[in-house]
Amino acid sequence: MLSMRYLKLWVGGVILLVLCVCGVAAPLLAPRDPQAQTLEDRLRPPRWVENGSTAYLLGTDNLGRDMLSRIIYGSRISLMVGVATVICAGLLGCVLGAIAGYFGSTADEIVSKISEIFLAFPFLLIAIAIMAFLGQGVGNLIMALMLSRWVQFCRVVRGEVFSIKERDFVTAAKALGGRDWYVLFRHVVPNTYASVTVIATFGMAVVIITEASLSFLGLGVPVHIPTWGSMLSEGRSYINRAPWLTIFPGLAIFITVFGINLLGDGLRDVFDPKLRRQR
Amino acid sequence: MKKRKTDLSRRNFLKRSALLGAGALAVPYLARKGHAASRDRVTIYHSSVADSTHPYNHSSSPIYGNWQHVIEPLIELDYDKKDYVGVLAESWQFQGNKWTFKLRKGVKFHNGAPLTSKDVAFSVEKMRDTKGGSLQAPNFKDVTEVQTPDDLTVIFVTKQPLAIFLDRLENRFILSKVAADKFGDKLYENPIGTGPYKFVSYQRGGNMVFTRNDDYWGGKAAIKEVIFRKVTEDAARLAALESGQADFVNNVPVHEVARLKNHPRVRIDQVEGLRMFFLAFNMEHKPWDNKLVRQAANYCVDAPAIVKNIFDGIGYPCNGPVGSNVIGADPKLKRYPYDPNKAKELLAKAGFPNGCDIQLYYSAGRYPKDKEVCQVVAAQMVKGGFRVELISQEWALFWDRQGVNGGRLPFYYIGRGSLTDADTLYDQYFRTGTTKRTNYSNPDLDKLVEEQQKTAEQKKRVAILQKAGKMIMDEALFVPLYNLADIYGVARNVVWKKRPDEKVLGWEMKIK
Repeated sequence: MLSMRYLKLWVGGVILLVLCVCGVAAPLLAPRDPQAQTLEDRLRPPRWVENGSTAYLLGTDNLGRDMLSRIIYGSRISLMVGVATVICAGLLGCVLGAIAGYFGSTADEIVSKISEIFLAFPFLLIAIAIMAFLGQGVGNLIMALMLSRWVQFCRVVRGEVFSIKERDFVTAAKALGGRDWYVLFRHVVPNTYASVTVIATFGMAVVIITEASLSFLGLGVPVHIPTWGSMLSEGRSYINRAPWLTIFPGLAIFITVFGINLLGDGLRDVFDPKLRRQR
Repeated sequence: MKKRKTDLSRRNFLKRSALLGAGALAVPYLARKGHAASRDRVTIYHSSVADSTHPYNHSSSPIYGNWQHVIEPLIELDYDKKDYVGVLAESWQFQGNKWTFKLRKGVKFHNGAPLTSKDVAFSVEKMRDTKGGSLQAPNFKDVTEVQTPDDLTVIFVTKQPLAIFLDRLENRFILSKVAADKFGDKLYENPIGTGPYKFVSYQRGGNMVFTRNDDYWGGKAAIKEVIFRKVTEDAARLAALESGQADFVNNVPVHEVARLKNHPRVRIDQVEGLRMFFLAFNMEHKPWDNKLVRQAANYCVDAPAIVKNIFDGIGYPCNGPVGSNVIGADPKLKRYPYDPNKAKELLAKAGFPNGCDIQLYYSAGRYPKDKEVCQVVAAQMVKGGFRVELISQEWALFWDRQGVNGGRLPFYYIGRGSLTDADTLYDQYFRTGTTKRTNYSNPDLDKLVEEQQKTAEQKKRVAILQKAGKMIMDEALFVPLYNLADIYGVARNVVWKKRPDEKVLGWEMKIK
């Protein structure tokens, strides 16, 4: 049932689904090889603009590569980096946060200090520093983003675990002879899933923007892989002459992040007990 | 502790702000009135202007251009004749390990003192004074002694016969010794030379001003006052030119050229620059030790297409190992034609019938549009049967001992600046042991390079350089690409003589 209450969830979900299809089926959907250069056709405007060519729906870039194909292929990197980073950072952050929250004392002390160190630096700055150190590459990019992103998960999970571990069902589980690790991961952590899902979706949006920023700065993936961020960066010097070089990748980033944020918002509404009660 | 009193009342603040605002509004108006309309003054906004009044504290062509207004060299390169002509020297002679220069008679410094051989010896001493801040000492590394047998004769004695000494003596400017004795420590704040202009003032980050020397030995310049100002932002220089604050700017970005061609006040002048771009092989690395593979690379890279498409046609593909404006260029040489099929054939012959994996290194952002260029090169080489991985490195890493100069990079995109003489390139890149940039060693080529360095007569030397150039092309020691254009934006009423060396010289200008 498509009620207004779930509208955000639906719209966000559909946008993300379309993107996933684009990413997975890129070779089938893209009209051309995203790397194929046709120098004679460089800087062709989109089809509907004067001088546009029917061969290139969204025009061509400064090396005569098809913009549409590059944007479709670009979704792969954005989604892959977004999903992989959020999963890795989520795992790391949740495990550390749960341990810190459940055991408290020394464990909490250590984890909190480490996460405070990470929090002390601006997110993008850490990512830039790590990328400069590791060099270009998709794996390195995910690593850099993960290292600068896990803290959010850690803090939230730690806080939740703090309050959950005092509840009666946890005491009951312990009274029945459950070991710490068992109680923690069987009874406590599953109760944090709602919040984790919400931070994960919002986190993904931030990660996609950061990936684009790093690619824009030339610190992302190697040049031969099309990404929206690097497309923006390359198109920048042609912004007067060929604005479509920056408009389309910019739109792609905007729509993706918008969709993911809608999804996150929708999820939050679903999980929010106050809103649920109003029903 | 005494508390500092701040008596800036609201009213005062407003008053001052209003004044400042009015001043700011008036500046462009005054500037326009003052500068562009005048026939007596030219204002040059350049990306590179002297950073101090120490005339030897740099080694950069545009800054040599600044100083040449005031102090002059013994000889200079005439780009039309492609040979050296005398400035303060009237004639010179090369014999054994001696270079003898006869100075021009009747030349006077701005302080009235006559030019003598003592001034030359003194200036050379200052140029060799690295502790005193000179960055030009290496030019005299082979000079063992400077003799001054009489007032108008200077003899440079070198360790070994050194035919290419003139190349090093270009841009070595002569200061007045009399002035130096007078000013002592303050010598570099009061540069006195023989030039067509006198030094007036210098402000760091502000103007460097020269005024005409009416008693100049070579005839009076047309423009009375020349003002240089360092502006590093491309957009800011251009805005100043378009608004009339500047009459002359350098480095107009390629993508602005089309727009400015129809500008009512501004003209675009372009001249083939002296930075040559090429793809270098390090021949100690496989597969570049194989001549056939190197030739294949030459056949599949289409430099004219790169110039046409990436640089909007504003560039000059090399027809041979050096650009046509370089001493030692051979008009008879041709570059390898674009023929990817031939490249595939050669690769197959060399033992790579299924293609060949290579890496192309570059340093993104160092040269204009380098990332785009390398992507196009990669795509072109793929058509010729190579599989190319592009790797961008930070400049320091790329250039230092971990990179090009340690012989670590097998294949890379690079530009050699200020290339006026083919000798520089051949010696640095292809002679055994000079650098590790290509690790090439060929006794026949070494012999040619050595021979021309000892040959005094320019024609003979050029012939040897051409022979070496042919050998370099036959052996396909690198992939020459192109020289780019130096693009200047000039007020329409300014006439000047275009030069390839980035110097902007006031006495070569006129305002109509």
